Amino acid sequence: MFNFIQLIRNENMKIYRRPRTWVMLFILIAISLAVSIMAYAFPDGANGELPSMWLPFQISTMLGINIVTIFAVVIAAETVAGEFSSGTIKLLLIRPWSRSKILLSKYLTLLLFAVLFMALFLVWNFAVNWLFFGADTAAVRGIDQLPALNFFLQYYGYEFISLVMVVTLSFLVSTVFRSGSFAIGLSIFLLFGGQLLTGILSLMNYPWVKYVIFMNLRLSDYLNGGNMFARAEQEMTLGFSLSVLAVYYVIFIAITWYIFKKRDVAT
Amino acid sequence: MQQHMDEPVVRLQGVTKRIGRRTIIDKLTLDVPQGEVFGFLGPNGSGKTTTIRMMVGLMKLTEGEIIVRGHRISSQFEQAIKHVGAIVENPEMYKYLSGYDNLLHYARMFPGVTKQRIDEVIELVGLKARIHDKVKTYSLGMRQRLGVAQAILHKPALLILDEPTNGLDPAGIRELRDYLRRLAVEENTSVFVSSHLLSEMELMCDRVAIIQAGKLIDIRQVHRSGSEPEAAQVAFEVDQASEAAQLLSDLEAVHQENRILVTADREQIARINARLVSAGIKVFSIRPLTKSLEDQFLEVTGGEQIV
Ligand SMILES: Nc1ncnc2c1ncn2[C@@H]1O[C@H](COP(=O)(O)OP(=O)(O)O)[C@@H](O)[C@H]1O
Ligand SMILES: [Mg+2]
Repeated sequence: MFNFIQLIRNENMKIYRRPRTWVMLFILIAISLAVSIMAYAFPDGANGELPSMWLPFQISTMLGINIVTIFAVVIAAETVAGEFSSGTIKLLLIRPWSRSKILLSKYLTLLLFAVLFMALFLVWNFAVNWLFFGADTAAVRGIDQLPALNFFLQYYGYEFISLVMVVTLSFLVSTVFRSGSFAIGLSIFLLFGGQLLTGILSLMNYPWVKYVIFMNLRLSDYLNGGNMFARAEQEMTLGFSLSVLAVYYVIFIAITWYIFKKRDVAT
Repeated sequence: MQQHMDEPVVRLQGVTKRIGRRTIIDKLTLDVPQGEVFGFLGPNGSGKTTTIRMMVGLMKLTEGEIIVRGHRISSQFEQAIKHVGAIVENPEMYKYLSGYDNLLHYARMFPGVTKQRIDEVIELVGLKARIHDKVKTYSLGMRQRLGVAQAILHKPALLILDEPTNGLDPAGIRELRDYLRRLAVEENTSVFVSSHLLSEMELMCDRVAIIQAGKLIDIRQVHRSGSEPEAAQVAFEVDQASEAAQLLSDLEAVHQENRILVTADREQIARINARLVSAGIKVFSIRPLTKSLEDQFLEVTGGEQIV
């Protein structure tokens, strides 16, 4: 067994040598900037006062996290399915590496991409709004009246966990169906359709509803006092949701690895 | 290395592949010796690619075993595949990367492939001038070379090429043939090369295995031009075929339409020609009908191309 890092370097090269990755980064940066400029140019207060930095920060965060998720889903969809559609999978799998490790290198690189984009966005979003609107250390957020910075750091953390779930699902679909567009389509549908579905599910009074994945992807709701769509008698807590997600996660990963290891490659 | 000399580089033992109820490869058994260019000849759909996929671990075997340098591909994949370089079907590359980055990508997957080795390989396949261009700008011939380059980066003991001449022009085919020979000689690489065109196999290979419908039909030595003193069948196209046949009855000449068939070596061909001409028979052409692979290939495949 020699250097596993080399596999990660390869996967990184395949992501960052493509112009589209840089377009993604540009879009992300532009969004946050656009929101700040709007908030700066059209202040909403009666006497034309600038808002607190946390207001545009929050708006950008809502948009940005969804966009980072979409980008990560695209990368996830491509990473395995793309190797199949280009036929390069044949050259990748005939090296002295087990299929499990090849797949692991792809998955870890994907997570690195997501961490990097999420972190860059967080830092940029913070810096831009701080520069435009000045620091606001007095602001508090959430049910526990946390200082805004503290609140948002936790918020990004919870959203990242949800992102990992969606991206892992995309990775699974990419591996199992070897179709990048299907993986993107299904994951994005689940991401947004899932939010809709949660609303519908919440109207139903079945005991299994609280085990549905979408009900548990809304982790950041717990910072604001609990799952917006849950009924009190469902007794959904952060711990509960995390446990449910952990079970889904293990199942997703197990299916992905099992299929990838056992499949005959005949592209 | 010494202890490997007599051992085959790769050994296929009763290799069988069934998909659903269909048997695609049926109890294939063969050895590829060290340093040989070994041809794998069969019509389209006979199972060449499937066999190669099993040899490199892309497909699992239903039955049998493939052993590379003493390691089973099924249970000791990493040790076995270390000795193998391959192109399976088309030389597929990352089109958005340069040729060099493609090679770097595969070099990183082996221990000890140095930058010098990468440059050496680029030189060997003659891609130096274009190696930093994106692969999407490459012609098929260039991609084929890049394919060979990635396959030999780690100096494999066995190089597997699946129909490498597909889509190449005659000059490209000739070049490929030349550097396969060079590899076999310079790097002592055994080459396992498949094709459905036997004319190519005859030019490239030391031995050829013929498969049809997933079954091994025969393995034959190919005798190369320049080293064939043996007698072979020769056709003389003449104006008076029956007279000619009579004249050459001592050689058991056979009369066939406007030509006669005789078994003769090089010297004899010259003498027969002189005899025919001096007897006033016009000779329009002399063609050796080496009982070639072609005859046998057509015999076993019944001339069919698709099975
Ligand atoms: N994945 C597959 N599923 C079912 N049949 C297959 C598959 N791959 C190949 N075959 C069949 O196996 C036979 C051999 O195919 P192949 O190995 O590609 O032949 P060749 O490379 O000699 O042209 C063909 O009849 C083909 O239809
Ligand atoms: Mg084929």
